Amino acid sequence: MKALTTQPLPFHRLVPVAAVVLLAIGLPIFGTPYLIDVGTLVLVYIMLGLGLNIVVGYAGLLDLGYAAFFAIGAYTTGLLMVRYHVAFWLTLPAAGILTALSGIVIGTPTLRMRSDYLAIVTLGFGEIVRIAATNFTFTGGPEGVYGIPHATIGRLVLRSPQALYWLGMAFALVVLVGSYNLARSRLGRAWLAIREDEAAAQAAGIYPVYYKLLAYVLGAVFAGVAGSFFAVKLTAINPSSFTFIQSVTILMVIILGGMGSLPGVILGAAVIIILPEALRAFDRVRMLAFGVGLIVLMLLRPQGLWPSRIGQIVKRAVALSEARAAAEIAAGAPTPE
Amino acid sequence: MRRSLACLAMLALLVPAAALGVGAQGATVKIGVPVPLSGGNAKMGDDIAKAATLAAEEWNAKGGVLGRKIEIVSFDDACDAQQSVTAAHKLLDAGVAAVAGGYCSSAAIPASAVYHDAGVAFVADASSNPKLTDQGFENVFRVIGRDDQQGPYAAGFMIKTLKGKKIAIVHDNTAYAKGLADATKAAVEGAAGVQLVFFDAVTPGEKDFSAILTKVKSLKPDVTYYTGYYPEGGLIAKQFKELGVPGKFMAGDANNDPTFISEAGNASEGVFVTSTPLPQDQTTAKSFIDRYKKRWNQDPGPYSALEYDAVSVVLDAIKRSGSADRGTIVKAIAATKGYSGATGTINFDMKGDRKSVLYITYIIKGGKFVPYGM
Amino acid sequence: MDIALQQLVNGLTVGAFYALIALGYTMVYGIIRLINFAHGDIYAAGAFLGLSLYALLALLHIQNPVLTTLLALVVSMGCTGLLGVLLYRIAYRPLLHARLSILISAIGGSLTLEYGLFLIYSPSFLVYPHLFGRAGPALGDLAISWLQVIIFVSSLLLMAALYVLVHRTKIGMAMRALAINQDAARLMGIDVNRVIASTFFLGSTLAAFAGVMTGLYYSQISFLMGFLVGLKAFTAAVLGGIGNIPGAVLGGFLLGILESLAAGYFSSRWKDVVAFVILIVILVARPRGLLGERVVERM
Repeated sequence: MKALTTQPLPFHRLVPVAAVVLLAIGLPIFGTPYLIDVGTLVLVYIMLGLGLNIVVGYAGLLDLGYAAFFAIGAYTTGLLMVRYHVAFWLTLPAAGILTALSGIVIGTPTLRMRSDYLAIVTLGFGEIVRIAATNFTFTGGPEGVYGIPHATIGRLVLRSPQALYWLGMAFALVVLVGSYNLARSRLGRAWLAIREDEAAAQAAGIYPVYYKLLAYVLGAVFAGVAGSFFAVKLTAINPSSFTFIQSVTILMVIILGGMGSLPGVILGAAVIIILPEALRAFDRVRMLAFGVGLIVLMLLRPQGLWPSRIGQIVKRAVALSEARAAAEIAAGAPTPE
Repeated sequence: MRRSLACLAMLALLVPAAALGVGAQGATVKIGVPVPLSGGNAKMGDDIAKAATLAAEEWNAKGGVLGRKIEIVSFDDACDAQQSVTAAHKLLDAGVAAVAGGYCSSAAIPASAVYHDAGVAFVADASSNPKLTDQGFENVFRVIGRDDQQGPYAAGFMIKTLKGKKIAIVHDNTAYAKGLADATKAAVEGAAGVQLVFFDAVTPGEKDFSAILTKVKSLKPDVTYYTGYYPEGGLIAKQFKELGVPGKFMAGDANNDPTFISEAGNASEGVFVTSTPLPQDQTTAKSFIDRYKKRWNQDPGPYSALEYDAVSVVLDAIKRSGSADRGTIVKAIAATKGYSGATGTINFDMKGDRKSVLYITYIIKGGKFVPYGM
Repeated sequence: MDIALQQLVNGLTVGAFYALIALGYTMVYGIIRLINFAHGDIYAAGAFLGLSLYALLALLHIQNPVLTTLLALVVSMGCTGLLGVLLYRIAYRPLLHARLSILISAIGGSLTLEYGLFLIYSPSFLVYPHLFGRAGPALGDLAISWLQVIIFVSSLLLMAALYVLVHRTKIGMAMRALAINQDAARLMGIDVNRVIASTFFLGSTLAAFAGVMTGLYYSQISFLMGFLVGLKAFTAAVLGGIGNIPGAVLGGFLLGILESLAAGYFSSRWKDVVAFVILIVILVARPRGLLGERVVERM
């Protein structure tokens, strides 16, 4: 991902990047189907994380119902393929349009709210979508949609774990490049300005609601695409995959990785998926260890595993005073300033 | 520097994962058992895994199968579609010859596609949603009955035995409960002179169902049938009595657990439960219960005997065919003829469903499940 | 009419639980702007501690239901309060200025508590002793038990006590000062840490009360019991205006009644959708909730 920057990388940064690239290429060649499946799941969460990163990381809007867009994408592809025998590739634009529309529907009335109220409204939206998918007959009710065909390229059926991995990798790379360019575009700078100081941004001629809505819609489309891929990967989807927990998991990916940072999202997705799998050896203590692990990771790296550079530069000025205040709180004693 | 540390941390995470994924291909015959070990269904998963272990230990004590020891490989599927697919891949990686287990239908259906692609036999012990075998996968079997077999039975019992004219059905919007509720609804609506007065769902995980029961009360049904799981079932039975809802209360086979009675307390008296015969009421299962209690120092769960049979059917197929090849096992399981298990005689039909499943009704009397009319 | 009255009683009962738990969310949010995801699990911990107390008292042959219940309540509330403070000390205090990271820490705390209960107690459902029968005041066809009356009255008393504490005592004044401006409060010589810790203590105490009452009234508890109720209580707190104590109480009861009416007159399957749609409509019309005041936006 860092290879996209124009400046040559210092050696200590090149090593981990090269390791990740080697791992990503080596996994489907040398890995077992299980490891490849876990890798594919990481790719799904990279797509989801990158999408939510636009909403939370770039535009600074807390979204607790992001799984709704993931669900809408998955159901659109699943239903079109199973009921109407539409080819996978043609369901993608449909999923994109539907998720964008739902992003507008939920975003328009709510984006003027304070971020915490926005959080609960998005949470509500997420629950409404999940419950509706469970209650409606055309979505298959609690059983969901099953028997979804595999994606095909010409005569090639993408069925094996390797094929699914490469398909997921292609999707993830498209989303990654898109995200990267967005961050560096005029749009990206507008989001940054709004996130850091909405009033100042508005004074500078940036209309916050428009840009927020755009972030919301783009984030929704990313999730929709991830959902389409998820549907053909799993071949059976049901509402239990799109719960509040799912939204929280995606949020964990980006906060753990480092808000607003693309390598951070990749790292965060890897940790969120691989950590519980690696802890399978601990059997009954697995989820407890995961919970403790989350606290410890946050205490050790409150800014995330790989925080964004842009955000840091801006924050550096603020950081000094905040750090002083934090130190005082931690010390528990008020000191005169 | 910090970032390379972060990246190293990620690699450090990957290495144990890689090590875990590589299962040693030993001389043992491995049977995969996916079950929920975390989340709200963890207790059921635990009971099922213990029954599988018991079956393997007993076969091993008799020399294993094909002269090889049997090993149970169990992974958590958390009753979740996504996690069940990952667990399925992990079981395949571990080199399982066949899979016998599962609990939630919503997890079993996506996983069955993975087993199908790999040509591995999957014998479900507790997933009763019709869709599982209706997918037409030749490798999928189940030792439990289908919801659309229990549904007509339950409807018949409510109409004929309990003389119900007005019937209310409550489910909990899970794949299992909705399947059973739909099947019962179809049978009730098909009967002459009987009226379905109420059909709605509760939310699993909630504790207060007085609002929905107050509505049921106003409709004055003769029988109310609840098709969900026992955690909510016990509470509904209790609140049903407390609110003074008229008519009888009946629950589906996911309520044949002693916790149902302890939750509902006195309110459980006189509640009907449709079910396949419980292990203690089957002569074939008597010795299974004793052995299970001896091995685990606790009572078997509602699905323990079924899982015991699911594992045994697989092992019997391996023994008959003389091969632990995945494809051969699928054919041999399909050819199972009158295997005598803890839950009775087992035969499979074309779809992989168990033939001639018997349903009976229990009534709760003196804090115990007593077969009704026997 | 009877039916409508019964639905009101049903709604008020559920609402009392929502309100008690919503108070913990709203107090913590008001002071440190944290959605304390682990609060629902604190409520579960309270219920389990209460059950342990009942078991212990039974071993000591203390059988009087009123006495055992009072003891169970007091000890569970105290221990759970300390648990809340412990959670704050370990998982939240070092992250007070990392607004989103503290959220993940809260999720970690939630999982830790849930699976801690899972390991210490049981993966399955546990059953409380059936101490109080379902006898109640004779009000025609209305089904209402004395236990329901006690839950309703005692939760109102607790809420009133909390209101007095926040508005009439010194620590309460410190809490309100902190909610308005933490830096200014610190400059005024307020021990910020101690005040935040007491907020966690109070919120957890109320949750523990709700937990023990849940066990007594519904009889069934489980390690995941806090998740759904926590979500609802959080919704209730926002509905009433997060950070506002009477708002949380109003939101809790309102949500309970709304759900009850939706299930009774529309459909139980859709009741959460009805509740969330009403929430969204209210927030669009009144962006700070029903009783919410204007608060400075902080990211």
